[in-house]
Amino acid sequence: MVVRSYNDELKYLEKINNYCWRIKIGFQPNMKVEGCFYVNSALEKLMLEELRNACRPGMVGGFLPGVKQIANVAALPGIVGKSVGLPDVHSGYGFAIGNMAAFDMNDPVSIVSPGGVGFDINCGVRLLRTNLWEKDVLPVKEQLAQSLFDHIPVGVGSKGIIPMNAHDLEEALEMGMDWSLREGYIWAEDKEHCEEYGRMLNADPSTVSMRAKKRGLPQLGTLGAGNHYAEIQIVDEIYDKWAACKMGIEEKGQVCVMIHSGSRGFGHQVATDALVQMEKAMKRDNIETNDRQLACARIHSEEGQNYLKSMAAAANFAWVNRSSMTFLSRQAFAKQFEMSPDDLDMHVIYDVSHNIAKVEEHLVDGKPKTLLVHRKGSTRAFPPGHPLIPVDYQLTGQPVLIGGTMGTCSYVLTGTETGMEQTFGSTCHGAGRALSRAKSRRNLDYTEVLRKLDSMGISIRVASPKLVMEEAPESYKNVTDVVNTCHAAGISNKCIKLRPIAVIKG
Amino acid sequence: MFKRKLSALQYPQCDFVNGKDETEFRKVIVWLEENKIKKYKPESRPISDIKSSNWKKSFEQYKKDVCCPVKSDTLIELDWFINLALQKEYIQNKSKYEKHSLEILKSPNTPNVVPDNPLDHLDFGSKDFENGVKAIAQMLQILSHPDPLITLKAISKLICNRLNNNAIKNPEDYVIKGAPFPFEDAIKGYDLGDLVLNKAAKILRLLYIQNLRDLQTKSNELIVSVQSITANPKTDTKLGKVGK
Repeated sequence: MVVRSYNDELKYLEKINNYCWRIKIGFQPNMKVEGCFYVNSALEKLMLEELRNACRPGMVGGFLPGVKQIANVAALPGIVGKSVGLPDVHSGYGFAIGNMAAFDMNDPVSIVSPGGVGFDINCGVRLLRTNLWEKDVLPVKEQLAQSLFDHIPVGVGSKGIIPMNAHDLEEALEMGMDWSLREGYIWAEDKEHCEEYGRMLNADPSTVSMRAKKRGLPQLGTLGAGNHYAEIQIVDEIYDKWAACKMGIEEKGQVCVMIHSGSRGFGHQVATDALVQMEKAMKRDNIETNDRQLACARIHSEEGQNYLKSMAAAANFAWVNRSSMTFLSRQAFAKQFEMSPDDLDMHVIYDVSHNIAKVEEHLVDGKPKTLLVHRKGSTRAFPPGHPLIPVDYQLTGQPVLIGGTMGTCSYVLTGTETGMEQTFGSTCHGAGRALSRAKSRRNLDYTEVLRKLDSMGISIRVASPKLVMEEAPESYKNVTDVVNTCHAAGISNKCIKLRPIAVIKG
Repeated sequence: MFKRKLSALQYPQCDFVNGKDETEFRKVIVWLEENKIKKYKPESRPISDIKSSNWKKSFEQYKKDVCCPVKSDTLIELDWFINLALQKEYIQNKSKYEKHSLEILKSPNTPNVVPDNPLDHLDFGSKDFENGVKAIAQMLQILSHPDPLITLKAISKLICNRLNNNAIKNPEDYVIKGAPFPFEDAIKGYDLGDLVLNKAAKILRLLYIQNLRDLQTKSNELIVSVQSITANPKTDTKLGKVGK
């Protein structure tokens, strides 16, 4: 790594406009393309502060700062366009979380990297609407939170209440949400309102290790820990009435349910297994990267293909997982209100993936190209009229679900043409950490965090309260800053704002 | 008004036609008859004298002679006559336009499927058939297309969607409701450099979306019918375990 003073580093960064910075070639060695990142003035400070800290003499260990990681990704073989940092970007394993990078499928040296997808493969957000209003749920808020908590097991080591055997798991890995549909856990319309229709067709369970399957089997239908949650939310603001109406959101005060979860231990194991394989492949094919954590393999190598097939299986696992929790949430609501989920109009508005790599068609310098788009902590945001978004959203653009942190608001955005041009149809995914987990544990007190939520009128059910400070709003960037930056930069449009009234989490 | 259609017909002052003005209306009708429709022989055109006090009467006769179904609105009348002229123009130059038709552009390799349908034994070219289709179209207030088969398609659509047994029993279920949608402003993403062309493209897009919605609804129905055989969702709370 190049060692430079902070002021020298700044020479490689150029502010293009109020919301976007360019990272020039040379900031890190071997950069094939430029980098860029989207920040407003508040987020910009955090970003540069991180870089300044890393430039102090004697700083070793830990993750590289986000800007450096974006630049390192720009040095990977086969990258096209730009390495893009979204407003919620922060350091992660290899790739920064909030980084989008696309690789040309037809370039034989192009790579796929598990670090560019993340360990929680197909972590994502699903939003269900209801026809209930705030006044209907406030009196039974506690009961409802408890009921959700009873239905959806949470926390590290939790086990699901949907019985499954090894054979069921194999089928679920291959079929994704089609399995949930076949078994009757979800509605036909759910599949329609889900990225990839809830199934990646190239999934191959035979490429997945036994260990991953063993870890995954009991965890289906569980929320997990970390930043995952299920929330009962209230529509707080509608920015785009027409688009909201297309999503079945009519007025402020309508009740929604948001589920944020991923592929649990299964995806983690798939990623870990792949990293081991890729180190070998890198040696064999002489692939050089700036950072050991950027382990990768050529897309068309055996390791690359195996990873893509097993990643697809993990993606399917995550969709089945969110579908099972959709089923359980519907049950919880149905019991509480003694009405069928149908009568409660509990439709899936949309389901997004924010840790995934997908093959997509994009225009690069005016020419159509097939790309492998890595989105890590970044959400796909396709514009109106794109063939891969559901028919109901053809006029509005793809809904983009942005989960806030515990106790803060969440947003629904829509994809735009500008986003398609500038970021290969990608936008932010959430708030993005500002403090590391360890730092949050040191600086915050969990009773204080819980008391604060209570004073905001938010019911909370949590498996491990002592870890709650890791997820406190103070540990994160301000989600409103993040979303406003995306809106102002034009890479997605604000549509709906939601605020939580009940949270369950690990 | 009618600028595009009239300019396609090479009407001399197509930029300034005001169909609501009686004199201009007559002028256009006469020009269309003299140059394009040519229903009457040049020497016997009672409508040629647009200043005649009998003009209205001769026009009514003319309408009967060319089978114009329009009763009241002069603008619709004018449009109908312009369409008739376009149709004549088209038929005259049919071979020229057909070079660009879909059938000819299609690859010659696609097999010619011959469906086994009793209606196929009808003679679609016969005058009888054409008149029959025209008569139904008039009854249903559908504008006729020069190709009676296309008119028939429109008729069949209307009957299938709006005049089936269910629709007649519960018309409110079939008459499309909903808030008006400002499609001209709300659909963005392309500009063909021409207002009218943009509008047409946007309407096409809406129709396409409607088709797609129908297809998706049918797929969903299919899935649901399969679910009635395969679905058996189970939960077992004894399996559940909350983590740490």
